[in-house]
This record gives sequence, structure tokens and C-alpha cells, in this order.
Amino acid sequence: MRRLKPITLMVVAGVLAAACGSASTPSGGNTGNTGKVGGKLLIDNESGSTWTCQFNPFNPSVNITSIGFVYEPLEFINILQTNPDGTPKVTPWLATGSSWSNGFTTLTMTIRSGVKWSDGSPFSANDVVYTFDALKADSALDLNALWAADSGPLTNVALQGTDQVVFTFNAPAQSYFYYVADQTPIIPQHVWGSFDQSKLDTQADANPVGTGPYLMSNCSQDNIKYLRNTNYWQSKPGHPVPQVAEVDYPAFLSNTSANLYLAQGQAQWGAQYIPNIQSYYINKNPSTRHYWFPPTLNVSLFPNLTNPLLGNLAVRQAIAMAIDRSQVSQRGESGYEPAANQTGIVLPTYKAWYDKSLDTLTYSPSKAEQTLQSAGFTKGSDGVYANAQGQKLSFTIKSISGYTDWDASLQVITQELKAVGIEVTVQDETSTPYTNDTQGGNFQLAYGEMPVAGPGPYYELRPMLFSGSIGSTNYERYNSKATDALFNQYSGATPAQQLQIIHQISGVMAQDLPVIPVTEGVDWYQYDTTAFGGWPTQSDPYAQPPVWATPDNGLVLTRLYPVS
Amino acid sequence: MRYITRRVGLFVVTLWAALTVNFIIPRVMPGNEATAVLATFRNVNPAALHALQIEFGVNVHQNLVVTYLQYLANCFTGQFGLTAQRVPVLTEIAGKLPWTLALVGVTTIIAFAIGTLVGVLSAWRRGGRLDGILPPMLFIVATFPVFFVGLLLLFVFAVTLNWLPLSSNYSIGATPSLSLSFVGDVLTHAVLPGLSLVIVTAGLWIYSMRNNMITTLAEDYVKMGRAKGLPSWRIMTDYAARNAILPNLTGFAMQLGYVLGGSILVEYTFSYPGLGYLFYTSTTDHDLPLMQALFLVYTLAVLVCVLLADFLTAGLDPRTRDA
Repeated sequence: MRRLKPITLMVVAGVLAAACGSASTPSGGNTGNTGKVGGKLLIDNESGSTWTCQFNPFNPSVNITSIGFVYEPLEFINILQTNPDGTPKVTPWLATGSSWSNGFTTLTMTIRSGVKWSDGSPFSANDVVYTFDALKADSALDLNALWAADSGPLTNVALQGTDQVVFTFNAPAQSYFYYVADQTPIIPQHVWGSFDQSKLDTQADANPVGTGPYLMSNCSQDNIKYLRNTNYWQSKPGHPVPQVAEVDYPAFLSNTSANLYLAQGQAQWGAQYIPNIQSYYINKNPSTRHYWFPPTLNVSLFPNLTNPLLGNLAVRQAIAMAIDRSQVSQRGESGYEPAANQTGIVLPTYKAWYDKSLDTLTYSPSKAEQTLQSAGFTKGSDGVYANAQGQKLSFTIKSISGYTDWDASLQVITQELKAVGIEVTVQDETSTPYTNDTQGGNFQLAYGEMPVAGPGPYYELRPMLFSGSIGSTNYERYNSKATDALFNQYSGATPAQQLQIIHQISGVMAQDLPVIPVTEGVDWYQYDTTAFGGWPTQSDPYAQPPVWATPDNGLVLTRLYPVS
Repeated sequence: MRYITRRVGLFVVTLWAALTVNFIIPRVMPGNEATAVLATFRNVNPAALHALQIEFGVNVHQNLVVTYLQYLANCFTGQFGLTAQRVPVLTEIAGKLPWTLALVGVTTIIAFAIGTLVGVLSAWRRGGRLDGILPPMLFIVATFPVFFVGLLLLFVFAVTLNWLPLSSNYSIGATPSLSLSFVGDVLTHAVLPGLSLVIVTAGLWIYSMRNNMITTLAEDYVKMGRAKGLPSWRIMTDYAARNAILPNLTGFAMQLGYVLGGSILVEYTFSYPGLGYLFYTSTTDHDLPLMQALFLVYTLAVLVCVLLADFLTAGLDPRTRDA
């Protein structure tokens, strides 16, 4: 839940040794499923605070304990898997299908019949319409800004016939499909309709009624117990779904305790950063313990483009060429987070969108210095370059305190930049002032990443580069009409055109260097096959694997099965 | 009487000042609840900022004076509202208070008992072997930051020797009950955080107790006791220690503030889910309502204890009443 990249008690956890082991051969595939029901699955994910026992799926601080378990989306969109044409892999869920019309401004979704809420009431298309209307009635629920965004907002949601829901947008809105279909949990009208509609955001929802595979059975400050929904709609005679009888989700206040619990083999599904994972976790039972860290977002250097020195392309080029990304990955991130590339496409996750011919920037300290010299910078007696006015290339980098892996990476970056005559000092801040400073432009250089990934690089590059996001996620304050136009075309384009658009934006990344990607942030994920099979693996990436990734966790929960 | 009214008056003024500071500080901290949620929780679309601002009433520009008066009124009626996680603040505090109270209460009593006893004994045999070793040692340890002692204990007893649990207040999955096994589980989890607090605070008691004791031992009535041929343990306890302990008793109340502050660090080090840990998370999450209520709880605890100590002094020492 918390994004804290922990070190918290690194002293205790032992000295971090560089372990660059690769994931052991995965064996979490769908073999050996006998179709039986049973077992108790334990989840291991540092939550940082105790449970509040509230399950409101629209409260971002608690919804990871209800979405996927109890509440479900209309369709699953797997951000880790793409179809051959580059479109993301979609699995119909509470909807059986969807189609666009009127130039991608009308979305029609067909709602599944025969689904029941966990209290026995039938689920229908009315619940879907109600859910979206509730987001409109109480804007505090509208976490993806469907009704009030800067482009392509939703204007109407209506029932068509008995089982279809029509979403009308005021502009082409393909990119909103992810938020409508995957990121909005459907709530029951017969329960939520009786609450105060303007205060749904403060609704505790202590006994959630959903369509999902699990029922919340018991909640205390330190643990949530879920039992399988015996009437789950995917169950068929002879094919029970879900197959895991009980799921326990303890609240771990610290990374250390969560890691210990995993290492002792008490939990099976981990979403933990474990320093030296090979010896601390895997080696204790290499045949059943595995990890897979799929990269989803770039971790980048954001130069503040309003700074006259950093606004100079030559300076950014020099910085980008001076950083040996593979060194940063190996020494700063123990090799767990791979090196990024300047086109901004996270590999291998979004390889369908990657254009190798654009990826020309290579590590070269000598070329970095040449670039600075030809741009009129001269090296001072202190070894730092300065321009004709005597302004030195000396900057501070803001980062988040507690993210020790980032600190280690920044140490490597600092040394590498120093070698080419650019002086940087790292300044750590806690996450709230850091967010404030990066969003407000109060920094020279910042080290960070976008908050969320989506099905394709568009969902990372748009918040990063679109001028409308200045003040929120466009930290570097990049402002280009041509690039904005590309983003605006995306939602109305065909898959082939979308690919072209992303290639052009990659070209902007490679030529203009508005942001300098350094490593690729990964999802921490560990799993133990002693008691359960059916895990998402590198060779079968059917869902985003960490338990906090909602609603993907629901897909994983329906696929897991006990092994004898 | 004048002494009492003066003390109560001072209490009211201090409380008001603390409440006002409590009102101002979170408002000058960078960020707000909405950006804090975005900064803290994973998987939140940045587009949620607008929704979150509405939820927390962030961009509602209210008259600061009105807000302030409302805040003061709420403090007295105990209406602290909802936390950032939408739980009533009082429920959240009530759930954590017993853990901190038990941890801090028990360790303070133990530290007081150890400190006083060692102080008495070492003053009694001044220059003896005990006096040469324990008071200096404990006093040096008392200057260590409590988290440092905590980390050291963790490293030795939890990580290296693996005798005691690393963190939390009881084992994950254990069901709270009054059974022997559960109580034992809670106690094993409390040993290390408790020990770090005891180690760090015991030294302070020794110092004052030893000094008081030495002064008292020089008094005529102690000589008188010796002259009467009383057994030395009686002189030590009934004649000397009984009088020497008075300043320590009032100091006991004053000490509470120090211990409560220490408990924040200890609870953080041991991930002990008490008020201190809650205070820490509420600050990092910029959870304004929770932060303010907790600050109030801490301030009140210290102020009330100081007031009680003043009353106690007035009761024990007639001179203060005339002042």
C-alpha cells in the first residue's frame, strides 16, 4: 500500500550485500490443479499502519483491501500483456464485452447476467449505471476524474435495453476505457443507494457486499480474514472458483517484520522489497520460492526546464550521456531494477511500443564533455563547468528520504556527473514536501517516477509530458504544443496510429530529453508454491502480480489453487 | 489558596498556548491531506487530486478566525472528526491508547523503582563498589537516544540471538484474549521496547535520588537515629530515603512528558502500534485531524501531570502554600 521503499531497519536486516541473482525457474503455471478447494493463503505486504476495517472501494487509503477481493471491475485490463497489435489484453469480467462507436465517443458495454451480490440479490446493469452516477453525485469518489477531466470527460451513462450500458463522452475517449472498465469497482445499488449520496466518500462500508470471489469474514486492527464466496459467479459444477478457502491479510507495520514473515515461510504471497533476496528468501527453499519483478515505470531524473541552465539542451544531453545506467542499476538497485532507455519505453513490459532506431543515446563521458564545451561551457579550476556568465553547473537533486535504493543510485549518479564536471548534491525530503516541491516546480533536479502505470507507455508519458499536467505530474514543466497535439490525438486513433504517436513521443524523449530515465521501477513480488499453484509468472504474466495492484489481485485470487 | 489559583491560571494559559500552536503548525507544514494521500498510497491516479481535495475540504477557503474558534470548541467537546482514512479520530486513539499507556506506565514504574533503589543503595554506601559502577554506567546510558538503545537491543536479542520478536505488540494471527498464551505473547513482545525505555530513564532517577539521599544523610535526625542504635536498614529506609524521595515523587509527574516523547521513538523502532506510532504515521500522512487530536492528548497528559505535581508539592510542603 505504502510506496515507501524501505530500509527502515536496514541495520537490523543486516548489511545489504549485492546480490544479482536472477529469478529462479518459475513453476507457478497451471499444472497439477486437481480442482479441489482448501488451504489458507497468507498475504505479506507492508501496510505501514494497522487496518481500519473500512472497505470503501473509493477511499484510496483503504481500497486495496476490498477491490479484487469483494468488489470487481467490468473488465480486466492487463498492463503487462499486449495483443499482437499492441492493444492491451482485456478479460471480460462483470461485462461480457464492449465496443466503441461514433468515433470513440460512445462506449457500449454488455453486462453479464446470472451474477449475484454476496447478499443474494441479483446483479444487473442498473448497478453499473448507479456506480457511475454515484461518482458524478459525489465528486470525491471520482478518483480517475471521469466526469471532470481536462479532456474527453464522460457526459452521460445510461441503460440501454436491459443488459447494456452506454457511456457517452464529449471527445474521443479510448484512453478512458482503462479507467471505466478496469479501475472502477462496481457497487450494489440496493446497499449504497440507501446511504447519503453526497457523503458516500466517508461511508465506512464495514460489511462490504460485492460480487467478488471472497467475503470479508472478520477484521481486526492486525488482520483481515476473507473466506471464499461459495456462490461466486465463475463457479461451475466440478470447477469451483475460487479454490483457496481462506485468505488472511495481516497488517505489517514495518518492512522488517513483513520480510521476516516471508522468510520464515509463513506467508505465500509477498509484495516486499527484500535486500539480498537470494540468500534471505530464495535460498531457504529454492525449489518452491520464487520472485518476479516486472518493470512498469521509469525512475528518472527530472530537470526543471524553467532553470536557465537545465533548460539548455546541451546540459541535459551531457547529463544523460554521463550517466552509466547499467552501473546505476547494478550498484544502486542491486540489479533488481533494470537500466532504462532514453526513449521512455519501459522494457520488456512495453516492448511492442519500442522503436530501437530512436534509442541512440549511449553512455559516453567524453562526448558529454565535448557537448558542454561546444555549447560554450568551460571547466573551472574546481573541475566544474560554467557558462560565459560564470554560472556553474552545480545543482541539487531532490529525492525521497527512506528510499535507500534511490539514495544508492543517486550516489552513483553523483560520482558519474562529477567525472564530467557537473556538480550535484542530493537533498532528501519526506514524501509530502517532496510531492509538493516536485509538483510546484520548487527544485533544480528531482529523482522520481510517475505515480501509476497503465496499459501502455501513454499512461506514463502523458502525465509526464502533457502541458496540462504542469502543476501535478509534469514535474519538469515541459511545454510543447506539438507534443500536446500528439497526446490529444491518441484517444481517437486506431491501434496502428497509436503506435505511431508513441514512436513520435519517444522521439521527443530522445531528442529533447525533457526527462532523463535512469532505471526502471519494478513491482516487488514473491510467491511460494509449497501450498498453492497458479501464480502469475514471467512466462505467464496474466496479471500485475503484487497484491496491492487492484483489481489484478482479484484475477490472481480466482486462479490460485491448493496443491496437495 | 493563592498558590493553587495561580497554578490553575498558568495551566489554562499554557493549555491555550499549546492549542494555538497545535492549530498553527499543521497549517504551515508543506502540503495538505490530499497531496499526502497521493504521496503516500500506491496506485492512486494523479487525477484523483481534485476528488481528494473535495473529500478533505482542502480548497474550501474558510475564514481562519472562524476555523480557529471552531477548532477550540471542538477540542473542548471532543469532536475531532475523521482521520484521513475516514475513521473517527477518537476510535483510532482509543484503540491505541491502552498499548502505550501500559507500555509507558509499566516501564516508568519499573524505571522509577530501579532508579530509586540504586540511588538509595549507592548513596548509603557512598564510594563503595556499587556506587562506583552502577550510577555512572546508567547515567551514561541515559544520555543515549532511546532509538539507539532500541536498535542495539533489537540487533542483539531479536536478530542475532533470535530470542525475542522483532516488532509489533503480539504475534500476527494471534487472537486477543485473556488466555495465558496470549498474555505471554504480549509480554514477550513488550520486553524489548520496555527494556529500552527502562534503560534510558532509570539513570535519571538514580542521579536525583542519590543526591537527595546524600543531603538527607547529613541531616541531624539521621545522626540521631544512629545514636539511638537503630538498625541501619531502618535508618536508610525510614529516616533517609523517605525524606529524600519527596522531590522524586513530584519529578515523577514531570518525567512523564519525557517518557511519552521517548515512546514515539521506541514505538517507531519496534513498530509497536500505540499512540506514538500513530503520531508518527499521522505526521507523515499529513493527517491533520488525527495529528491535532494526538498533540492535544500528549499536551494534556503532560500539563495535567505537572498540575498534579504542583498540587502534590503544595500538600507536602507547607512553605509553597504561603508563597
